[in-house]
Amino acid sequence: MNRLLMLTASAYRSKVVQITEQTFQLLFPVILLGSSAEVLQFVFLTASGYVATIFNVPQWLPFDRELSVLMGTVYHCTLGMVGLYGAYGTSYFTVKVYRRQSSPSAGLIGLLAFLMIAFQPRNGGRVAFNPPLMAEGLLVGMLVGYVCGRILIAFKNQQTNWGQMMWRLALIFALAISVNLLMSYLRRTGALSVLVISGPQPTSGHPLTFVLMMGALTELLSWIGIGGPFTASPTFTDPASIANLNHALKAGSPWNAPHLYTDTTLFHSFANFGGNGVMLALIIAILIFSKQAGSRTVSKWSIFPAVFNSHYAMMVGIPVLFNPIFLLPFVLVPVVNMTIAAMFLALHWLPAAVYPVPAGTPGPLIAFLGTNGNWASLLLGIFLIAIDVLMYVPFIKLAERVQKSAGELK
Amino acid sequence: MTWQKKHWVVALISIVMVVAVIVVSLQWSRKNVSQLAQRHNSTLVPLIMIPGSSATENRFDSLVKTLNVNRRNPHSLLKIRVAKNDHLTFSGQIRPRDHAPIVVVGFENNQDGYSNIKNQARQFNIAFKALNERLSFSRFEVVGHSNGGLIFTVFLEKDYSQYANEVQVTKLMTIGSPFNFNERSINNKTQMLSDLIKNRRELPTNLNVYSVAGTKNYTSDGIVPLTSVMASRYVFQGQVKHFTTMTVSGSDAQHSDLPQNRQIVSLINNYMLTAKRRYRVRPNEPELH
Repeated sequence: MNRLLMLTASAYRSKVVQITEQTFQLLFPVILLGSSAEVLQFVFLTASGYVATIFNVPQWLPFDRELSVLMGTVYHCTLGMVGLYGAYGTSYFTVKVYRRQSSPSAGLIGLLAFLMIAFQPRNGGRVAFNPPLMAEGLLVGMLVGYVCGRILIAFKNQQTNWGQMMWRLALIFALAISVNLLMSYLRRTGALSVLVISGPQPTSGHPLTFVLMMGALTELLSWIGIGGPFTASPTFTDPASIANLNHALKAGSPWNAPHLYTDTTLFHSFANFGGNGVMLALIIAILIFSKQAGSRTVSKWSIFPAVFNSHYAMMVGIPVLFNPIFLLPFVLVPVVNMTIAAMFLALHWLPAAVYPVPAGTPGPLIAFLGTNGNWASLLLGIFLIAIDVLMYVPFIKLAERVQKSAGELK
Repeated sequence: MTWQKKHWVVALISIVMVVAVIVVSLQWSRKNVSQLAQRHNSTLVPLIMIPGSSATENRFDSLVKTLNVNRRNPHSLLKIRVAKNDHLTFSGQIRPRDHAPIVVVGFENNQDGYSNIKNQARQFNIAFKALNERLSFSRFEVVGHSNGGLIFTVFLEKDYSQYANEVQVTKLMTIGSPFNFNERSINNKTQMLSDLIKNRRELPTNLNVYSVAGTKNYTSDGIVPLTSVMASRYVFQGQVKHFTTMTVSGSDAQHSDLPQNRQIVSLINNYMLTAKRRYRVRPNEPELH
C-alpha cells in the first residue's frame, strides 16, 4: 500500500500532472465565473429556470432581460469556449515545465492551433467554430496545447531565431489544419456518428441495466471532460417521460408509472446532486473532513453553482477532472445511488419522478418536485447524500496523503 | 463571536432557508401539476357518432365532409364496425395532433327494436373500451342519430359508470331519437322509455344534452313522432347539467335526411367540437453543464 502511495506520489510529480495542475489553476477563476454566470442566466433569469419559476423573478426584477444577456455573454465567453483557454494554458505551461521558463507566445500558438481545428467555413464570410468542440472540448484543447508545447520545445534553438520559429509555427498550423480537414471529412462521411451515443431508451435488454450502464458511461466521459449520453438536467421530452407524465396526469398520481427506470427517474432524480459524480457530496465531505485550505476555499466557492447542478468549477478546482484518485468514486457513487433508488422504486416504496421540474432544480429536490411532493423521495435524497459523503471521505484522505508525499519528494 | 458560535448561526440560517425553499417549491409544484392535469384533460376530445337502424358506419361520411369544408385542420374520421360476433373492424385513421377526431361506431346487426338496442349498447361498450385503450382520451362527446341516441343512452345508464372516474362524456346530441318509439302519446310509455326513466339516476350529472327533432309537419319528421323525440326530457331533464331541445324545419328536415341537414351540421359545429386546442408542456430547453 505504501509503495502504491509512493508510486502515485511520484506520478503526481510527473511533468504531465504538473502541466495539468497549473493549467487548472489558471482555468479555475474563469470556469467559476462562467458556471456562476450560466446558473444566473438559466436558473435565475430565464423563465423556465428553477428560481425564476418559483419566485417569479422575471416578473418583478427590473432589467432582467439585460442582465440575462450580460450573464449569457459572460457564460459564452468563459465556459462556452473553455477548450480555448485549455489550449492556451497547456501550451504555455508545457513549455514552462520543460524549459523552466515560458513566454506568452507559446500559449498564443496553442490557442491559435485550437482555433484552427475548431474553425468551420461558412458561406457569406461569417466566422463560425465547431460548437461542441468549443464548449465540451477541454480535453481536445489540452491535448492540442500539449502537442503544440512539445513541438515548440522539441527544437533546441533559442526563440530569437526567427527562421526556426517560423518553421515550427508552419508545422503546428499545418497539423492543425489537417486535423480540421480530417474532422470535417469524417463528419461528412458520417464516421463520427459512431461516437455519438444517443437515445435515453433501450432498444433491447432490461431498462434498469441500460440506465445504470449509460449513467456510468456519462460519469466516465464527464470525468474526461466530454458530455455523456445523459444530459445535465432532465428534459422531460423523451417518449418514456411523456408516457409517464400522461399516465400520471390521467391517474392523478405519480404511482405505477409505466416506465419506472429511466434517466429522469433514476439518474437525474437521485444520482446527479450538484452535477455529475454527486459533486454536492464531495463539497460537503471536503468542508467537513478536509483541513486543506486550498480545497476548502475551492469547495466554498463552488457551492453556488453546484447547488444548481453545475459541477464544472469543482471538477477543475479540486481537481477531479483527469484525476485517477477520484475516478472510482466519481463513477461508483452515482451508480450506488441509482441502484438504491431503483430498489425503492421496485419495492413500490417510492413513486417515480414524472412531473417536469424547471431547469436547474437543486438535485435533491428533483425527485421531490417530480413526484409532486413525495416526502419519502426527499428523505431518500438526503439519506443518499449522507452515504455519498461517507463514500467520498477515504478518497479525499487518499488525495491529501498523495499530495503530501508528493510534496515531500520535492 | 467564537468560531463555533459562527458555525451554528450559519447552520441555522441555512436550515431556515432550505425549509423555506422546500415549502415554496412544493406550493409551486402543486399548482403546476394541477394546471398540467387541466391541460392534459383538454387535449384529445373525440366526437363519437352512432348511426341509427338500417345504417352502417358509413352513414356520416357526407356529414363529416361538410363539417370539414374550408377547415385548415380537418377532423379525421375513424370508423369501427362491430360484427354480429362482437368482432371489431377499424378503418380510417386519426391524424397526429388532431384533437377532435370523429369516430363512427356502426353495427352489422342494425335492426330496430328494444332488444337489439340493448344488444347494440353492449356491443358499443366493447368498441368503446377498445377505442379508449387505443386513444387514451379523458373526455369525449357523442352524436347519436335516431336509434344511435337510444343506444348511447342505454350505454350511459348501464355500462358508463365503470369508466366515469377516468373518462368523462361532456356533451350528447341526439338527432331525431325516438325515445318512445312510434307512440304519439306520452301516456303510452314503451318498455324502453320506462326502463330509461327508471335508471335515469345513473346518468352523469355534468352532461350537456341537446335533443334535436326534425319536422316534416307539425307532429312528426315523417317517421318519428315529435312527442317521441321530446319524451327524452323525461329521461334527461333534471338529472343532467343542461338539457336543451331544438326543432329543425325546412328542407332536409325529414328523419333520414337529418344528418345532411345544413342547420344540424352547423349545430354540431357550434355546440359539439368546441374543445380547446391542446397546450404543449414546455420542454426544459436550456442545458446546464
